[in-house]
Amino acid sequence: MGKSQAVKYAYIVARVRAMKGKLIPKEMYPKFLNMDIPEITRFIGESEYKNEVDELGKKYRGTDLFEHALNQNLALTYRKLIEVSQNEANYIITEYLRYWDIWNIKTILRGKFSGASEEEILEDVVSAGQLRYRDLLDLIKITSVEGVIAALSKTPYYPALSGYKGVLADIENNLDKLYYANLIKAGENSKDRFFLKFLRTEIDLKNLKILFRMKSAGMEREEILKLLIPGGIELKEAHLGRLAALPFPEFVRALEEYSYWKAIAGVSNDLTSLINIETQLDKYGLVNITRISYYYPLSILPVLDYIVSKKLEVDNLRIIVRGKETKLPEETIKAHLVM
Amino acid sequence: MVDPSVVDPAIVAANAKGIIAIGAGIAVGLCGIGAGMGEQAIGAAAVGAMAEDEKFFGKGLLMTVIPESIAIFGLVVALILLFVF
Repeated sequence: MGKSQAVKYAYIVARVRAMKGKLIPKEMYPKFLNMDIPEITRFIGESEYKNEVDELGKKYRGTDLFEHALNQNLALTYRKLIEVSQNEANYIITEYLRYWDIWNIKTILRGKFSGASEEEILEDVVSAGQLRYRDLLDLIKITSVEGVIAALSKTPYYPALSGYKGVLADIENNLDKLYYANLIKAGENSKDRFFLKFLRTEIDLKNLKILFRMKSAGMEREEILKLLIPGGIELKEAHLGRLAALPFPEFVRALEEYSYWKAIAGVSNDLTSLINIETQLDKYGLVNITRISYYYPLSILPVLDYIVSKKLEVDNLRIIVRGKETKLPEETIKAHLVM
Repeated sequence: MVDPSVVDPAIVAANAKGIIAIGAGIAVGLCGIGAGMGEQAIGAAAVGAMAEDEKFFGKGLLMTVIPESIAIFGLVVALILLFVF
């Protein structure tokens, strides 16, 4: 007798729900805005980030400590999810968290391209994927972009990297496409329709962000189409082709046909800056996954909900601290927060 | 020669007792399996929650033993079968 769906996911779902209960409640963010950086660091040092703050407190100070503690905690939390899950859930989580491999490869390549120091690159690395921290340290020690690519030749990411001809944007784009193509394949292999639905919505949101950025920068249709990721749920390729060809104001109006419009309708009047749009789209993604995770409580969705929520928590904390450090007005910081 | 249509009442009584005992066994056995199936998901979830936060021990234990009532129903039916009939 095979295990039923409920039994397969009961353990991991109960565990991530308990973990989600320990995330920082959204009522705290306005309070953080009134605190100074040392106060926030102290608060964080008494919460779930205690171990990381204590451990890294000897090496780093101020915002550096904050940044490293957040990254390390994020990596350990995600790694824990991989370790405590089994079978199908483990497969999907592992594949989904390859996002961080892509992130790290991009970070290292960008760092090498712009000649950043090893320490600077290390600050932005999150070893939550399949590439371990040790592997990443080895990669960071390589001095050239070509060297890093050659060192990655045995990884599944090499096909996206091998075409490097001096333009980073091309391989970054290939990496994104490879990641999502593999994820869709993984979703189809596992026959998990909930995961596929979530994934296709995420691709739509990502495509929308790309479209907004490219359209506001006045890029040509062909250029934009090269960047978009195939596989969305509402924005199929024909739709993307049509949207990419429209001028910016008409493009915004054309979005009224899609369900994402309700997310951005409130901020569509002021398009001088895309921050509001991107925040609203992120928020839509968060609300969407949280909502559907309650519809199907014994599936992979609560785990994905946790992964998304945790990432946004870390992003929010980083935004607050970086914003405070550069003395940005409270309103501006608030506009960036996704909650 | 013994008439086959006349059955010894002692044998009938013994047969009936045996069948009742089998019935009681089936009642307890199936209820046990049912309760176990109910508990496997709840137990797994309780352990998961407890691994994150020890405060869930009490709630987890309570939830895990709720399907146990099914096993008690089986036991009650078995006892009725054995001692009432």
